[in-house]
Amino acid sequence: MATTAPTAGAFPSPYEIETPAGCEGWEEMYPYYALFDERRREIDENRFWFWNSMHFPMPMPAFDVICIDSPYQAVGSWQNRVFAVPPAMGIDYRCVNGYIYISGNPVTDPAKIAERAEFFQKRAGYYFGNWSELYGKWRAKMEALIRELGELRVPDLPEYEPDEVAFGDDRNTAFYEVLDAYGRALRLGDLMWQHHFEFLLLGYGAYGTFVEFCKGHLPDIPDQHIAQMVAGIDVLLFRPDAELRRLARLAIEIEVDSAFVQGRAPSEIDAELAETEAGRSWLDELEKVKDPWFNMATGDGLYHYYRSWLDDPSIPYAALIGHIGALNAGEKIDRPTEEIQRERDRLANEYGALLDDETRTSFNDLLNLSRTVFPYVEEHKFFCDYWFLTRWWNKIREFGALLERNGFLEDSEDVFQLSRYEVASALDELVLTWATGGLPLGPKHWPPIVTRRKEILEKLGEWTPPPAIGVTPEAVTDPMTIMLWGVTTERVQEWARQQDGGTVLRGAAASPGVVEGVARVVRSVDQIGDVRDGEILVCGSTSPAWAPIFSKIKATVTDVGGVMSHAAIVAREYGLPAVVGTGRATASVRTGQTIRVDGTEGTVTVLATQEP
Amino acid sequence: MPGTAAGAEYIRPLQRLTHADEPRFGGKSANLGELLAAEIPVPPGFAISTAAFHAFVRDAGLEGRIEGALARITGGDLEAIANASHAISEAMRFAPVPDVVRIEVEQHYAQIGKAAGVASPPVAVRSSAVGEDSADATFAGQQETYLWVRGVQHVCDAVRDCWVSLFSPPAISYRARLGQAQEPPAMGVTVQLMVDAEVSGVMFTCNPVSGDPSMVAVNASWGLGLAVVGGEVTPDDYLVSKVTGEVVREHVHAKQVEYVPDSSGGGAVRVEVPKERRDIACLDQAALAQLIEVGKRVERHFGSHQDIEWALARNNADALFVVQARPVTGLAKKPEKPKPASAMSLIMSSFGAGPPKD
Repeated sequence: MATTAPTAGAFPSPYEIETPAGCEGWEEMYPYYALFDERRREIDENRFWFWNSMHFPMPMPAFDVICIDSPYQAVGSWQNRVFAVPPAMGIDYRCVNGYIYISGNPVTDPAKIAERAEFFQKRAGYYFGNWSELYGKWRAKMEALIRELGELRVPDLPEYEPDEVAFGDDRNTAFYEVLDAYGRALRLGDLMWQHHFEFLLLGYGAYGTFVEFCKGHLPDIPDQHIAQMVAGIDVLLFRPDAELRRLARLAIEIEVDSAFVQGRAPSEIDAELAETEAGRSWLDELEKVKDPWFNMATGDGLYHYYRSWLDDPSIPYAALIGHIGALNAGEKIDRPTEEIQRERDRLANEYGALLDDETRTSFNDLLNLSRTVFPYVEEHKFFCDYWFLTRWWNKIREFGALLERNGFLEDSEDVFQLSRYEVASALDELVLTWATGGLPLGPKHWPPIVTRRKEILEKLGEWTPPPAIGVTPEAVTDPMTIMLWGVTTERVQEWARQQDGGTVLRGAAASPGVVEGVARVVRSVDQIGDVRDGEILVCGSTSPAWAPIFSKIKATVTDVGGVMSHAAIVAREYGLPAVVGTGRATASVRTGQTIRVDGTEGTVTVLATQEP
Repeated sequence: MPGTAAGAEYIRPLQRLTHADEPRFGGKSANLGELLAAEIPVPPGFAISTAAFHAFVRDAGLEGRIEGALARITGGDLEAIANASHAISEAMRFAPVPDVVRIEVEQHYAQIGKAAGVASPPVAVRSSAVGEDSADATFAGQQETYLWVRGVQHVCDAVRDCWVSLFSPPAISYRARLGQAQEPPAMGVTVQLMVDAEVSGVMFTCNPVSGDPSMVAVNASWGLGLAVVGGEVTPDDYLVSKVTGEVVREHVHAKQVEYVPDSSGGGAVRVEVPKERRDIACLDQAALAQLIEVGKRVERHFGSHQDIEWALARNNADALFVVQARPVTGLAKKPEKPKPASAMSLIMSSFGAGPPKD
């Protein structure tokens, strides 16, 4: 992590976190290199690690760890080895009680940074300059990859190999085919992750720069408005629902809509439709839509738990029922693309008009570039995270089914309780004993391990991971950490404050800035003579009569008043942090106490209670 | 305004003032004239010029006394300032408002009453600062305001009190800070029909804290404007997008007190807000939309961010009135505003490649 002058204390050491009762031995689910190991304690303990709750909100099943390794292999390759992002290499991860903590590797040597900047400017410049063409090629690559995954067969282990193996030319026995298929499945996964990150950094970087630019000049702009200005009108992600709306209209047109009754299971609806000619023709139309548009995931994440609409049609059927109901009630269900387009342009024009000419030019340039990169930002999720990944998990389930059929697992889903190496090992023993006719140990070996791990995962699910561990950085400077996770200096400080406990008062953030100093509680204007240079004024409220002391104080805190109160206006004039309307500052703070006033966040923290 | 009083203009109706009249009538009155010209709803009223103030000082023979008292101030010496303030104020308080001025006040006050259909209409009497400090008047504490004043005598007293406030310790300190401690100051006064406000407050046509120009920040509380302006309540706080009208942030606070017209007929009194109204929002969507619309118009008219005091009259559908507007001062500076540059160089610098951020 690119940080300066770290301070210890606020967050727990990764080496001092206790294992929840009943979860002993959780470490065996994860690779040796994913643990906080004593052999590198000195380094790991002095880094800042934050919980990647965005991608890994739940404890990781052993197999799903592949969705940590592969993405970080891929993102690091592009970030560090291809584009050479100047100040940041890749991301390290560690696992604590099943939860994933990450930390970026900074580049600190200015000469190295300059060297990398040359690579970055040349290579990123090429991508931005040829974005649409390169993205077109990327889509073709992804579609080919998904086809290849679909064509990958997981062979069974027959009692006798078929004649072709004996008489054909291009022949392999099942032991090889099984091991090869498993290896290929893993490799295809790696390839998907490689593609996934090819554009991601640059796409998010361009969009993120626009977001930052907007927030710099329009600090209160709702995120929604920024997204509305950029979002694609006609992107792939809207197609699945557009197809459902079309099917809903079709159902009404050919009068099969009565089958879609609230509360019915998809299978019941299908059964009724299958009884009539019209119903069957609707089902045929549905089949055509399913590939690819039902490759939507039911959740957003990197776990095997998330299935596709194909696996679990309850979501698209619920949407169909809703659309049909709305249409029959005379409502419009079409996505108002023209209106969205108009609003997108109106917002861009109106916000642009609030900026000066020079700023508006940058705003428009960034907006246009963001619109160019945004199809990737939105669509890669459909190709990679939904379409490919739900199918890929299903491919792994096929290996689970093979192991289940041969007694190595009680349930095909249990395959996800084993690491990818353990699955390879189980398959090795399976094909070995299939070949030799020997007695496999697997059926005795694996099921108890699975049972134990399911128990551990359930208990780990009840544990609350701290937002960060290790040292508290003074500043977060890693651009990727900020860009992709939104982990900023302010965020980390907020986490640290929450860990601190202590007395925190909240009020309106009336004048930005953070200072610490000695409090002076003043109850009425005739006491203002007591205020010493550099103290923090804590009072009920101020009026123009208080004006003379503002040149003496470092910050001000009031009980009542809003961001337009006298105290707020004068504090801004003097550039002093101010928190107003705390309700009880004069009651809870005492003169002489050291307090921290955060006029940006609107908080006042009592740090030390010593009095003069 | 040296020379004789003959031909001097003491009073003019607000609607006949423009920006060009600021040196003689003060910023507040001139701005109200501008607002009326832009068809912003402003309560009717009249402006008293600095010539009236000078006539008052001259007729009472106070010129030498003021100069003498101010001459004794050195630097920001708080005690010297307090002494000067005391000496001048005491002398002024016992001096009468000149008859020439009084007669004109009487005429214009009667006209307000006639237009409003009230014999002795309640008015607000406010100071209207002149010169380069008028934009900073909030800070200077030259915002003397007398609410719900009725009758010519009381109006004249309030006008004189405004003039006296020109020599309050904060006002003198402020001029001392500008290095103008010794210069004799002057001031205009605004007299305006009072709106019996059910709700009143302040709005900024930008977020004064973040500097966001796409927002209107509204503070509102029950009753007359005094409670919000004087910082006696923590008002309801709204941040509304100028672009979409969405309420981006809303904080409803407990509003303990409000100012209402005194039942005796003159002045405003501070009363406790009844419990059932204390914690409820005092503005609804429709009122906010109306405010934002007017705020945008005022801003467009002046071409800069405005700090607007407004009131929603009781029992009135088209209830919104602007009672004053002035440029926003002391806008917090955002430390890290991305500088305009080419899109590519901005993106490069967010990856840490290319020219440094500053």
